[in-house]
Amino acid sequence: MINIPKKPAPTYLVTLGIPAAILFTIFSFRRIGFNLQDFRENLANRAIVTDPLFNPKWQWAWENTADALLETVQIAILASIVGCAVALPLAFYASRATNLNKYSYFLYKSFLNLVRTIPDLFWAMLFTVAVGIGPFAGVLALIMFSLAIMGKLLSETIDSIDPGPMEAAKATGASHNQSVFTSALPQVLPNYTAYFLYIFELCIRASVILGLVGAGGVGRIIETQRIFLRFDRISPIIVIILVVVILIEQFSVWIRRRII
Amino acid sequence: MKIPQQPLSQRVLKYSLTTLIIIGSLWSAAGLEITLERILDAPRQIGILVGAMFPLDLSQEAFDRIIPKVFESLFIAWAGTVIGAIFSFPVSFLAAQNVAVGIVSRTTKQILNAIRAFPELILAFVFLPITGLGPFTGTLAVGIHSIGTLGKLSSEVIEGIDEGPLEAIKSSGGSKLNELSFGVIPQVMPTITSYWLYRFEINLRASAVLGVVGAGGVGQELINQLRFRDFPRAGTVLICTIILVLTADTISAAIRNRIIKGKVVKS
Repeated sequence: MINIPKKPAPTYLVTLGIPAAILFTIFSFRRIGFNLQDFRENLANRAIVTDPLFNPKWQWAWENTADALLETVQIAILASIVGCAVALPLAFYASRATNLNKYSYFLYKSFLNLVRTIPDLFWAMLFTVAVGIGPFAGVLALIMFSLAIMGKLLSETIDSIDPGPMEAAKATGASHNQSVFTSALPQVLPNYTAYFLYIFELCIRASVILGLVGAGGVGRIIETQRIFLRFDRISPIIVIILVVVILIEQFSVWIRRRII
Repeated sequence: MKIPQQPLSQRVLKYSLTTLIIIGSLWSAAGLEITLERILDAPRQIGILVGAMFPLDLSQEAFDRIIPKVFESLFIAWAGTVIGAIFSFPVSFLAAQNVAVGIVSRTTKQILNAIRAFPELILAFVFLPITGLGPFTGTLAVGIHSIGTLGKLSSEVIEGIDEGPLEAIKSSGGSKLNELSFGVIPQVMPTITSYWLYRFEINLRASAVLGVVGAGGVGQELINQLRFRDFPRAGTVLICTIILVLTADTISAAIRNRIIKGKVVKS
């Protein structure tokens, strides 16, 4: 007779977790006021949005978005460059492989985690209050945004580097800092460049909506038209943005392929 | 001793990229009218704002307003993720090259790309006149965007499976449906579930922001307090959001870790 191995008993994660997740889902849907009946009735009014949305005013969009769109791209370029530059040393301090001091490692790691919990638009709101409405606030917000992502990605990459070269450098009499510079840094530089391009793409996408809270870029034009429900003006702007975003992403993918 | 040099083409690429980065940042800074003066003054201004937030507004009234909003963001993120998970799961099979026919897979992938291209916030204000102010609009926006992202990630997981088990099922007489349920799903389920949780973490941040356009959640509260210059209360909103996001991230990351790495067996 064939001995069929018994299926292992489900763990607590499954026996308790799945019912809990289902209950929480039902509870969430009730709390957000989900009601199929209302939804169907509301959907009957969709013409308010869809009619203007599918009758785009191209002429208007061409004449009014170019400047703001350029501003959006500039915000993303500046913020991703500065953010990633600041993140480079921070990532080395936030990695166990290169920071030997347990306490300072923990401090830098927590700082990066804290920055990461605050959403990009919250940063934008705070900076518009602090330094005034305009693209400068947007740049600062996206610096925090890219700094947090780069810090996390790069510090985790540094954690997993090959310790051999660092040991070799130390064996030849290099100090810890020298071994980091000569052996750890070159190992992660290709990843750093790839992450930078990825973050630049994220920044381009994020900078589109910064204007909704007054932090500059093409979002400020969307915001003024949104308030007046001019979806006939918004839809061409969105299409133009999408085309620009896709073009920039293609360019970034092309560079990434050249480097790696 | 002869030290090997980097090939010329690589050095040229390196220097031209460096120049590109420097020119790009200077051009952007000039275009945005960011002067050295403003940069040097920024830390002081940020300091004033942070200073104005302390001491935080810890009154009962503030918590009565803020806590429900913070939880509303949590509910939006969870419900949105569930919508995304339920709808993206079958779609991801249609988008996977090794499961669906070529043309089906290609069209589904393009549709998913198109959905993914719209940020949640833009979806939210497009839905707003139809479904009204409130958390339901936010959930819809988060959910639809999640279908796009989860569909793409899940289909890539399905494309990366080991074909061996499928062959074994086929050779023992299993149908196409048997192949999916015994060959594909057991292989991809852990990774896909962990992507769902990962998406939940991202959606939590997205849903916190949605209040800016009135689609529910804690963002509304933050923008209101900042507009009324009630900084201590804005500080409380911020701290509550941070606590929620950190807690949810920690729990979700622990579960993801357990799903991917499995139970630790003590021998």
